[in-house]
Amino acid sequence: MRTTITAPAGEAASKEIPENDFFLTPSCVLGALNPGTEVLISRIYDLLGLRWTAAGNRPDSQCTCCTGIASHGDVMSMESTLLVVARLWSIAAQMGFENITTACVTSFAIHTECLEMYQHEPGLDKRVDRWLQEACGRRLQIPRHVVHASDIVYRYRQALGQEFMRYRLVEKRTGRPLRIVDHVGCHYAKVFPEKSVGGSDWCEVLTGMIRAWGGETVDYPERNHCCGMGFRQCMIRPNRGYTLACVLKKLESMEPWKPDAILTNCPGCNVFLDKEQWAAKELSGTTYDIPTLSYTELVGLLLGWDPYEVVGIQAHTVPVEPLLDKIGIAYDKSKEWFSRHG
Amino acid sequence: MSKENPEATTKVPDDLLAKEHEELIPIADDALVAAYECLRDQDDAESQGPMGGDLNSHEPPGPADQDPPASPGRTYPNIRRLHGTPFEREKDRRETRAWAERCGGEMQEWYEVARTKPCTWWLENHLVARHSLDGCIACGVCTSLCPAAEYYEEYDPRVIIDTALSNDEARLVDLLKSETLWYCGQCGSCKPKCPRENNLMGLISSLRFLAQLKGYHLCSVRGRQQYAARHLWGGNLWNRACSLYFRNVDAESHADFGPRYAQYQSEVEPQMTRVGANPDTAGQFGGRKVPPETLEELRRCVAGGGTLALWNRLEEQALEEARRLGISIEEYFERVRSEG
Repeated sequence: MRTTITAPAGEAASKEIPENDFFLTPSCVLGALNPGTEVLISRIYDLLGLRWTAAGNRPDSQCTCCTGIASHGDVMSMESTLLVVARLWSIAAQMGFENITTACVTSFAIHTECLEMYQHEPGLDKRVDRWLQEACGRRLQIPRHVVHASDIVYRYRQALGQEFMRYRLVEKRTGRPLRIVDHVGCHYAKVFPEKSVGGSDWCEVLTGMIRAWGGETVDYPERNHCCGMGFRQCMIRPNRGYTLACVLKKLESMEPWKPDAILTNCPGCNVFLDKEQWAAKELSGTTYDIPTLSYTELVGLLLGWDPYEVVGIQAHTVPVEPLLDKIGIAYDKSKEWFSRHG
Repeated sequence: MSKENPEATTKVPDDLLAKEHEELIPIADDALVAAYECLRDQDDAESQGPMGGDLNSHEPPGPADQDPPASPGRTYPNIRRLHGTPFEREKDRRETRAWAERCGGEMQEWYEVARTKPCTWWLENHLVARHSLDGCIACGVCTSLCPAAEYYEEYDPRVIIDTALSNDEARLVDLLKSETLWYCGQCGSCKPKCPRENNLMGLISSLRFLAQLKGYHLCSVRGRQQYAARHLWGGNLWNRACSLYFRNVDAESHADFGPRYAQYQSEVEPQMTRVGANPDTAGQFGGRKVPPETLEELRRCVAGGGTLALWNRLEEQALEEARRLGISIEEYFERVRSEG
């Protein structure tokens, strides 16, 4: 039984991750379903003393979606996506930022696809620049880097673990390293594998964090299988059976390794690997109840930030408290719900 | 804007949200859009009368470091009651048609011409399609790694590549009319392993776009769902500058998320606010509202890229289908949303 994930010699890919100065773009899925996860990115950047911004000040936000869901849902032209993303890049440049960090892995792939398009389609940059001027008087300005926010946490994983974290991924009672299944978003490591930390087969972005914080990584047969989010599959209700089937396939495959938690870097995976566990239980009769956390939620919990007030674990379908008990993280259960019926 | 409807009136009923679609038809386009914007920008107290019904008055406790919400007029205090309503969809139909007529543009014209060309022409000329394929050695790795091919027995992504490379117009038309075109989950699992570095998810997305422009999507259940998709994701982008609005993920339509999720959803606004998100308030994070200037820029970008050619085409096709079936456009919307 293989439990440690390491790339064969020579296969580990590296990636240039900028040190500072990040323009953060938000995620529609995180914002709607795991709102604390997204805000935690900004809290972690602040903790690390990084210079960052989002688009505009609060009352006058210039933030928009990247069009990712609509684009992969096939109701948005590529040219419209190029323009919407170019507008965000223009705002970033205007605010003095050259490094785009996306909260969402589909945004990461969308921004990266735009960069690739400019490289492979001669003259496209000039056309988009002209269209952007016509649309909103802005100019196309190509960013220096496009990275995902999990890249930044990966880069600073040792500093976070050694200088800031109060807890480690270790069972308090026994000293056993906790077994954590990583689930890397497809649009982080598969669409442009050369742009991820470690590539599609041996992606390091989450396993690197798990090891740095004392946990044990877990390999299992369906580790690289998609969570089944699938845009039109999960969001058009009659199609959601596909999503559930993918989640169930992964849960059945990882279950023999008795993971203590699933760690994600993708908004959709974080939602469906967690929330479909209830339907999976109803359907299969098997209770999995594997807590599913994003990398920022895990950072927040290990830092000792309030599980309910700051991290927002109450947004999860599978209760996270059993994992907190294993680690020894204190929590006040009365904070979970505002209403009495909890 | 109103020339197609000579009977149009500028009188706006005072209970628009309660109106059936048929009752909205006589209202002139300009008046309907203006009424939507007026209702959207009214504060809660003002809106109680004209819009009818109760507002969700669950006021969330704001965290200490949160800026106060911007003035209601700037941030659409009533958007939560307008989202996803027949009234909003009717407003969007009229507004996007008017925008397309007024703005036009190179890409909109390109897509309107492209839909009249053969499918083979599209594969050679569409920005995404022409960068997606570089031959095929028929190794089958795309199919072996595809989660959709595992779930849908009749689905084989390699056949899509084969069809695209065949240069056979009849085969391409059959593909565009098929259910299988809509099975791909756009995960990209096939992409890193293809020896020819084909972008199959991009190719499929491009073909789906063409299927809708030509109306071939109406031949399949999954294809027809695109009319619901246009109003879900397109409506959110057009009106709220996001693809997914936090009120779309209500507990009732997500019963598979379980009772704990229903509990969370019953107090979603204070729960979002306590962790620093911005449910229907000014801000940078989940649920945020953007000011009119940002929405205007986003709309201009969407229009400038030619997307309105697709949205307006979907509206024309849906209206024709509804007439053929003898049902209203809203009944058609509900049918395609729940079909499958």
